[in-house]
Amino acid sequence: MKGGWARSAGSSGKTLNSFQSMSSTPAALKLAIASAADEQLVAWSKEGHSDAFEELVHRHRDKIYARAMIMMRNEVDATDIAQEAWVKGWRRLHQFQGDSSFTTWMTRITINLCLDQIRKQKRVRAESIDELDEEAGGVERLMPVEDVNPTEGMEADEVRKRINEALAKLSDAHRTVVVMHEFDGLEYKEIAKRVGISIGTVMSRLFYARRRLATLLQNLRRERSE
Amino acid sequence: MKTSELTLDLQAYVDGELEAGRRAEVERVLSDDAAARVLVEDLRRLGEIVREHEPIHRVQESREFYWSQIQRRIEQEERAEARASGSASRAVHWLRWLVPALGVAAVAVMVTLPRQRVAELASGTPSGEFVSVTFRSDSEGVTVHWVD
Repeated sequence: MKGGWARSAGSSGKTLNSFQSMSSTPAALKLAIASAADEQLVAWSKEGHSDAFEELVHRHRDKIYARAMIMMRNEVDATDIAQEAWVKGWRRLHQFQGDSSFTTWMTRITINLCLDQIRKQKRVRAESIDELDEEAGGVERLMPVEDVNPTEGMEADEVRKRINEALAKLSDAHRTVVVMHEFDGLEYKEIAKRVGISIGTVMSRLFYARRRLATLLQNLRRERSE
Repeated sequence: MKTSELTLDLQAYVDGELEAGRRAEVERVLSDDAAARVLVEDLRRLGEIVREHEPIHRVQESREFYWSQIQRRIEQEERAEARASGSASRAVHWLRWLVPALGVAAVAVMVTLPRQRVAELASGTPSGEFVSVTFRSDSEGVTVHWVD
């Protein structure tokens, strides 16, 4: 086995192509790994081939780190959580059945680690729709006041930067539901289950977060044009 | 739009989370209410913008260095797990001998204790200036305490 260490348990998962047949020479192995699809790399990794897993890490490390960074808003936590996610990914690979893409599976591990960390830091406040009403003067107060595209005329990188800044200004509770819904595509009930809140609270947090995001993006646009 | 509930239902409509019956009701509201239509359009557009522009954050370390950190953490966890399972198996090994030995000891105590009583138990408890001696005879049904 390549890589100096490997899974100690026996092989699991279905091999699409024999790893051994690829490893006739180091160069051939390297080429085979670099050109393999994620699905193939996952199958090899499940057999304990750390080189294949290393390639998966390399391909998706930015996405996993970005997800952790968006959630945690600080580099130290994000770096630690992203690495921990990869460790868990390796150790739990036998549980991955391919129902979703490998990156989706990994980002969900990452989100769960972020939620655990946020809970540990007691950063999530118990917010209900009533509390949001207090905070914002009622959901109706959050209705749109102007029908404008808050990012009109901006370059994609600029929009990304603005969205990142706006997300940073949301509370952990609000940012969590936005990230889980918009970036991970999770349904309300799944978010409710993972965060441990009611579906109604998910809906109210999501609504508040979106209105706040729209307002922040509009403000940023105004600041930019001044 | 009249209520918070409707507002949240409009959002659920945009997110495709409404059941068929409620969806039809919301669509009726939308056909009559311009503000509701604006909100729906606003939410839809914001969702698209956010999804299409997920912030990018890149790992700064080199490929080799980043992997070496993960590799080290995996090795640490696997070593810790191996140690934990080693301790557990050692404990099981000792328990396998200890449990029968304790059983034998318990039986021995139960067999020998009544004989000692018949043979008239005596015990002394010296404690500094005072010495007390207890004498009991089961056959006579008498217990004597002597304090000196």
